[in-house]
Amino acid sequence: MKHPLHLTPLAAAVAAVLVGSLVAPVAFGDDSKKPRADKRGQYVTGDFHNHTTCSDGSISLQKVIKKSTDTTDTPWGLDWFVQAGHGGNGNRNCTLVEDATLSTPAYPFVEGKSPSTTWANSIGAAAVKGNASNGTPLSGAADPRMWRWQSIQEYQYPITEYLSGLRNLPVFMGMESVVAGHEHTSMTVVSGQVVLDKAPTNTAPGFTPAGNATALAQWSYCFDRNDADNSRGAGQNWDCSVPASANSTDSNWNATAAKLVPASGTGVGLRGHAKTVEGVKWMAAFHGQASYYVPAHVERAGPFNPDGNNGFNVEHLRNFNNAGPDVAFGFETQPGHGASDSRGEYYQDRNSFGGKRYDSVGGTTFGGTGIYGAKVGGVWDALLGEGRGFWFFASSDWHNRGSFGPDDRRSTQDFYPGEYQRNFVMVKAPQGKKQYQSLGQLKPQEIVDSLRTGDNWAASGQLIDRLAFVACAQGEDTDAGDLREAVVAAAANNVAVDVEDARCATMGQKLVVRPGQSVVVAIAVRDPQGTSFSPYTFNNPSLAQVGISQPLNQPVLDHVDVIRGLVTGYKTPGAADYSGAWPDNWVEDQDMARVPAAAKNTSAAVIKTFADGSWKASAKSGIRSMVFTVPAVTQSQYLRLRGANLPAGVPYETDANGEPMADVYTNAGTPSMLKIKCEVTPTAAIASGATYTGAAIDGCPAHMARYPAVTGPQYVSYDVAAWADLSFYSNPVFIEVKGGTLVAGVK
Amino acid sequence: MSTALPSWTREPLLHFLLAGAILFGLDALLLARKDDPKHIVVSAAVDEEARQAFTAARGHAPNAAELQALRQVYLDNEVLYREGIAMGLDKGDTAIRERVIFKALAMVEAGTKPPVQDADTLQKWFEKNRSRYDNPMRLTFDEAVFAGASTEQAVQGFVKALNLGEEPELQAGLRVFRDRPVKTVVESYGEDFATALAALPPNVWHALKDKQGWRAVRLGAAAAAIPADFATLRNVIQQDWVDAMMAEQRSAAVHAMAKKYRIEFPQ
Repeated sequence: MKHPLHLTPLAAAVAAVLVGSLVAPVAFGDDSKKPRADKRGQYVTGDFHNHTTCSDGSISLQKVIKKSTDTTDTPWGLDWFVQAGHGGNGNRNCTLVEDATLSTPAYPFVEGKSPSTTWANSIGAAAVKGNASNGTPLSGAADPRMWRWQSIQEYQYPITEYLSGLRNLPVFMGMESVVAGHEHTSMTVVSGQVVLDKAPTNTAPGFTPAGNATALAQWSYCFDRNDADNSRGAGQNWDCSVPASANSTDSNWNATAAKLVPASGTGVGLRGHAKTVEGVKWMAAFHGQASYYVPAHVERAGPFNPDGNNGFNVEHLRNFNNAGPDVAFGFETQPGHGASDSRGEYYQDRNSFGGKRYDSVGGTTFGGTGIYGAKVGGVWDALLGEGRGFWFFASSDWHNRGSFGPDDRRSTQDFYPGEYQRNFVMVKAPQGKKQYQSLGQLKPQEIVDSLRTGDNWAASGQLIDRLAFVACAQGEDTDAGDLREAVVAAAANNVAVDVEDARCATMGQKLVVRPGQSVVVAIAVRDPQGTSFSPYTFNNPSLAQVGISQPLNQPVLDHVDVIRGLVTGYKTPGAADYSGAWPDNWVEDQDMARVPAAAKNTSAAVIKTFADGSWKASAKSGIRSMVFTVPAVTQSQYLRLRGANLPAGVPYETDANGEPMADVYTNAGTPSMLKIKCEVTPTAAIASGATYTGAAIDGCPAHMARYPAVTGPQYVSYDVAAWADLSFYSNPVFIEVKGGTLVAGVK
Repeated sequence: MSTALPSWTREPLLHFLLAGAILFGLDALLLARKDDPKHIVVSAAVDEEARQAFTAARGHAPNAAELQALRQVYLDNEVLYREGIAMGLDKGDTAIRERVIFKALAMVEAGTKPPVQDADTLQKWFEKNRSRYDNPMRLTFDEAVFAGASTEQAVQGFVKALNLGEEPELQAGLRVFRDRPVKTVVESYGEDFATALAALPPNVWHALKDKQGWRAVRLGAAAAAIPADFATLRNVIQQDWVDAMMAEQRSAAVHAMAKKYRIEFPQ
């Protein structure tokens, strides 16, 4: 949020010293053109991991889409939306709306029905296809659980297509796969899925879609761990074979089902992982540019368990990326469930492997981000240090509001898609065409393409809403002022920076330079005007500890860190430095010496920190711009950004270097660990059981945890903890030195 | 009784509202039902709660059939509640435990009395708790972030260059700390660092060692602690004193109740 920039004379003097050299004139090569804002491109915001009653969510498909994309009833207004419930099955019909306000001509409200109504009590059990895990037809069951493949293909997809036309937005289907050998993954196959560019003209119930989600449905049948159907799509004759794989000669192949069915027992994790790699290969073979596979809340289920279905180690992320670099191109290391009693639902001793307890990897989140992405020099940096195109994503993982109803602005569990976290992805109109005139012109394929490019970033709590980040090879006539102007204009107008002719690269791209050539880096971020979506107007208790008065709904970007790591090439499968689990009990012992070589990049470090005094700030626009030079580059490397609202040295939030601390001090799940008191009394109490739909809670809400319970003081926890602690993460810009290490994973 | 109920009686919202009504009605009901756990009375108060809940949810009052269906929901829930209690299902449930603690505490509070004001007592209490009201010592300082291994020699060299107005290459930036309470500086950097920082001459860069290594810092100002003024804060202090006295009364009452228990601790 925008605030006047106040510099003490001392800080201003230091800024003059430090900034002076950072923006010293640099020169672009003669053969280059000046970088400039490019209005063909724009960042659009979305979410691809959220739930309805078709899996274990709490509301209908229509309601979650309305809540997430509306700009009036709820303000979060996402630009694109992928609905992605769990794979497997469910007995509730999420296509039935809650009330008449969600009625549409094609899908009207039905009196006496709700999204919790079973399939048996809505479409009738006889219409449920496929077989139960014992091979008997589901149609003969009294209360059958419909396989996800059928609900996606026949019931959910038509509604997303219909609503895409009504809302003039790219709304389509994905899935949170229950992963063989692991926990969960956000994924989709968009082949066949259609976004309508005009509203359907239905006047009566019923809608015949123009497209289909058959490819996604087939993947669900073939590769989801929880799909035990053997009907081959109930007459669709699906065959889950993968080109050049063992398929029917694999001992785990089930001929009736025509798919791999890993045997249970010892080694099930290894067999499951092998099946999942086949699933990625299938996507790469048949839908190589039309799918994505992004492991979800990747640290939550602990490390990999060869004898169970638990977490992901770095080698599994490498295996997926090797099997389908255009498919498995990132991970959700910033989980949803941001308001829960254990942020992200990560906690210590969460997982039991044969009776032995394991923490979620890292034990908790760090400023809301899992350890794989949050730790400088950790797993993400290890992957980037190979030169892989492997990107950072956030998700809402929306299920429910915890102690509150779905329309309440308070939460002790989840935030709605777009309410707190959002992925910003760059979409560009085709060459020769102007900017997209409406979001409805964006098709599922274009969203998938934009996710794959890596020209994307994630922010929480509306900390920033614009980002432009480029690195340019220095030449004789390089002008840092031009570069700053270009990124500021791009951020101001939410457009791209045209880097194609200027020897520059942006996020997800690589810049190739001569050995010894310097690189000029320009960054612009916008701290948005007005208030955020937080319903809390009292001062941030975390910042209050250090004497800073800042309303929770008016966060201010405190600083931006530039992180650099060297690129040393791909690790070889089977080599000692390819595999290794992040050590357990991380909260207690955060010694990087315990981390195996496979899971770290020791060259990664914060090389710049910009804040008031060292960035150029516009109080009017809220834009902060930064330009600096990386001199005489001799090794291939990457640069990435992160920023936060909390400065260094905020007790129980950030350490002396500004690194986010373990969130155990704000997780109500372990109340004895809570540390930051909340002592602002609200002027008016909200009645118990009432639904709060406003945005003006001016004191610590009653649901904040107390320790001791009931009688103790209140502590920062639940949604207040999330709104108090915000961040953004960019994807990297790679710099490849000619003759040096290839950044092989980035085109 | 297995009569089929209308589907709207299965709506979560209605159940939620009825559950609330039941909770509030429960105490009265428990008191009213005397000693016969097998005797359930659906009182007029229950009917009224049901009517209000239904009207709020559906926009109109229930007709006779709907009221009967609501009574059935209530009865089903009451039977389940009694059976659950009989089976001990309330045991080990944190939410129920906390709810009971809350209600017991409310009863204890009902027995407390506001303390009588006394200026001398108030003043003494203030002096005893004055750290809550004093404005603590605050430090304003900057850190020029050092890139690379922060050895003493390297940071000293960096500091020297900064004091000469030179800008060493590749330094990482600036952190500005304004009016930080000294306690939080201690928590983040350590006691020795905070003490040394507060004693630095202002506006000159220095190398200081903290818990993690050497840092280049410059003190802007060390604002001395400002003792709180009793007269200025009297109203606030008085309210805090009342709260504290009431809390003491509550604790004393709970401790008195605890005397009837035999309490053991782990050896």
